Order: sequence, then structure tokens, then C-alpha cells
Amino acid sequence: MFNYTFQWKQAMARLPQMLDGAIVTMQIAILSMIIGILLAIMLTMFRLSGIRVLSAIAKTWVEIARNTPALFQIYMAHFGLGSFGLHLSPYLSLLIGITFNNAGYLTENFRGALKAIPDTQTRAARSLGLGQAGAFRYVVLPQMLRISFLPMTNQMVWAVLMTSLGVTVGMSTDLYGVTQALNALTFRTFELFALAAVIFYVITKVITLGARLIAARLFRY
Amino acid sequence: MTKSPIIVSLLAAAVAFATPSYADKLDDIIASGTLRCAVVLDFPPMGMRDESNNPVGFDVDYCNDLAAALGVKAEIVETPFPERIPALMSGRVDVGVASTSDTLERAKTVGMSIPYYAFENAVVANNKVEMASWEDMKGKTVGATAGTYEAIWLEKQVTEWGEGTFRPYQTQADVFLALSQGQLDATVSTVEVANANVNSGNFPGIRVVDKAPMVPDYVALFTLREEYGLLNYLNLFVNQQVRTGRYAELYAKWVGEGEPANLTIPGVYR
Repeated sequence: MFNYTFQWKQAMARLPQMLDGAIVTMQIAILSMIIGILLAIMLTMFRLSGIRVLSAIAKTWVEIARNTPALFQIYMAHFGLGSFGLHLSPYLSLLIGITFNNAGYLTENFRGALKAIPDTQTRAARSLGLGQAGAFRYVVLPQMLRISFLPMTNQMVWAVLMTSLGVTVGMSTDLYGVTQALNALTFRTFELFALAAVIFYVITKVITLGARLIAARLFRY
Repeated sequence: MTKSPIIVSLLAAAVAFATPSYADKLDDIIASGTLRCAVVLDFPPMGMRDESNNPVGFDVDYCNDLAAALGVKAEIVETPFPERIPALMSGRVDVGVASTSDTLERAKTVGMSIPYYAFENAVVANNKVEMASWEDMKGKTVGATAGTYEAIWLEKQVTEWGEGTFRPYQTQADVFLALSQGQLDATVSTVEVANANVNSGNFPGIRVVDKAPMVPDYVALFTLREEYGLLNYLNLFVNQQVRTGRYAELYAKWVGEGEPANLTIPGVYR
């Protein structure tokens, strides 16, 4: 039983506002990926370092990021830190929550990728005169990033979709936030959300297609 | 072309049989024996939960009264503000008794009854923020529950002032949590909700500053736009609630001392 007359024109009139929101969504997803990858490389190095404290930090991060809902992580960045008097804007709370999640998952991906790189690579690099750090940076790291390229694409898609959780911390300028606000105004829920779904779909499709093109170049031989 | 009269009459019978007798939503509700109401339970004293987690409040009682009038059982369906319309359109509820402001924009999508309650709004601020009147909200970080009348008003104000920030949160509780933590400098909420939250002690460090200069926020029952039968019934029901003194009774029970707001506007019919 679905009693509703769709009024697409009303929703389409709001399309420009929603596309503005989509740009904010992309911005957050891209920023959270760049920072997330850098953090994940750092956490991976913490794990490899053999220093107890550092690897404990990395382990805790991954455990929390992977085993609690992203919603919780974003909520904690806003209201959790807020209760200690540290006030982050909704934008920053959302960015930090997603970045935290990205870094945790990517660290796990990198760990898997490292397992696929034989020790002999490091030993060969060392025998050529590279130090421990040099061997990691010039030999292991590039291969690790290459192997984990496709999982990274998944994470990017996930980051785009996670932006929709920003509404819980008062975010109103991203695609989902804009859609919610327009919905409150007009009650044209189904048209607006259908439109938002299509925009989300197109964004993630572009990402996966783009990644496939890059992968084709990366894995040519 | 000639047709056998037997075939014609068979066809006629089949058509008569296949055409369902039309029953509207009002009939459906009475036949089903249950009235399902969308109620927001995060909006004291209109809708909330008591110590044993049962839904209580003005809207809950109002739904119970409506069900009693229809001679059916009431079923309270907890619905957050943004999900009132999906709940109605997907057929999960029959009517909304959810403190829904009767804006003209929304009335393009759903059918609204005559007002059954009217809210006045108050400005609530964090104690650390200097604020003497509602105009001091200018330039501050303010917020309200996404999708409410006051949120729409406040966002428009911020845009008009051209300074300050507006943040919509998903629930009333989140708004007051953010206000209490100092993430928000001020909020606008209905006087009832403001007083309930300031006095509850759940949100320390906040105070009521001023009344907000809004047209009273008239709220209506709502159902599907085309259900005239039910809408007529709802209108008469609201009328009877006032006429019999039940409106005043519920006001005294949930809001407290004083007169409930007048639901008519002088000089106009509806």
C-alpha cells in the first residue's frame, strides 16, 4: 500500500541546491581519504616499528574504527569531545569521524597488502645499500599502495556514503543534509530522496569507473 | 457484430463483481479496529516516554481520544520529526498526531486538519552567553530540531541577518545537549519544551531568555491529502475536543497552569 503521487518537477527545481550539497559531500570524502591514507601509512609504520606503545596505539585505533558504527565515531567527535569543552563544527566533526574510520580500515588493508609482499624484497633492497626506512619507502610502500589500490576505492565509496551520517551532528550543507532540510520544508520526501539516491549513485559510479581506468594503467603488465 | 446476450450478461456480472465497493481511509480504520498514529516521542510534554518506557504526553492522549471516538484501539507509532511523512505515505500510520506545523508548503503534500494546538516559542541560551533578548541571537551559533517550524524560522532569520551559523540537529535531545555543552549559543523551541528541558535538570547551564517573535505555531493533525472523509472527521474531532473542555483538560494535565492557546484566528473562517 503506497499512496503517493510523485511530483518530480518540485524536486527537480531543488536540483541545483542538491548539487551544491554534492560538492560538499565530495569535498569531505576526498579530504577524508587523503588524510586517512596518510594516517593509515603512519599507523602501519607504528605497527611495524616494534615499539610497544606505538603498535598499541595503532591496534586500538583499528579495533575501534572497525568494530564500532561509523555513526558512533562521528557522534563522538561532536558530542563526545563536546562534553570535554572541545567544540568542533559539524563539518569538522563529520570529517574527523570519517577520516578516523578510513584510517582504521585502510591500516587493515595495508597490513593485508604487506603480507603479500615477500620479505625477500626488503632483504634485496637492504643488500643494495638501502636502510630500513629507505627499503620501506622505496620498495615496500609503493607495492603496498598498489596492491591495496582497489580496496582503497571501496573505502572512497564508503566515505562518500558515510557523509550522510553528518545530519546527526547538525551538518546541513552536504548532499544528505540539504535533502533533509528540503524535505522538512516541502514534505516531498520520496522525490527528494530518490533524487539524492541517484546523485549518490552517479558519484560512486564515477569513482569506481575512474578507479578502474587508473587501475588499468597501474596493473598494465 | 452480434454478441450472445449470455456472454454480455456474464461480462456485466464479472465487471460488477470485479469492481470493489469503494471504502475510504475512515472506513478502513473503523473496519481494521486500530488507529495507527505517528507521534514524536522526543518532544516533551507533547510526546515522551515515562519511567516504564510507555509513550505518554499530550499527543499520545490526543491519539487515544481520537481512537476512542472512532471506537477503535489506538496504536502509537514512534516517529522522529523527519520521518512523519514517509511513515504516512508508506501506510505505516493512518494519521499524524505529531505537533506538525500547518505550513502552506507542506499542505501541498499532505492534508491538514484545523489546528489542534498552538505553540509559542522561547529563546533558550547557554548561561555563558550574554543574551538579553531574542535579537542578541544575531551573529551567534544557533540551532534547532531539523524540520520543525522554529528551525525553519531560525534558519531564515540567520540568512536575513547575514551573520551567525545555523545548525539543524536530528532530535530535540541533541539540540539541548549541544546547547548545554556550549556547542550552540542559543536555540528556539516551544515554550513547553523549553521549560520542560530547563527544569528537568538533564541539561545543566541553560536558561530561557525571551519569547521568540514568531506567529504562534499552529499545529494540525494530518493524513493523506485526498482523504476528505477522514479530514472532515478530524476537523470535527478537534472542534469537539475544544467544545467538550477536553482540550483544556489535556492542557492542564501536560502543560500546566494557564489557558490553552486560542485555536481560532479572528476575522477568518478556518
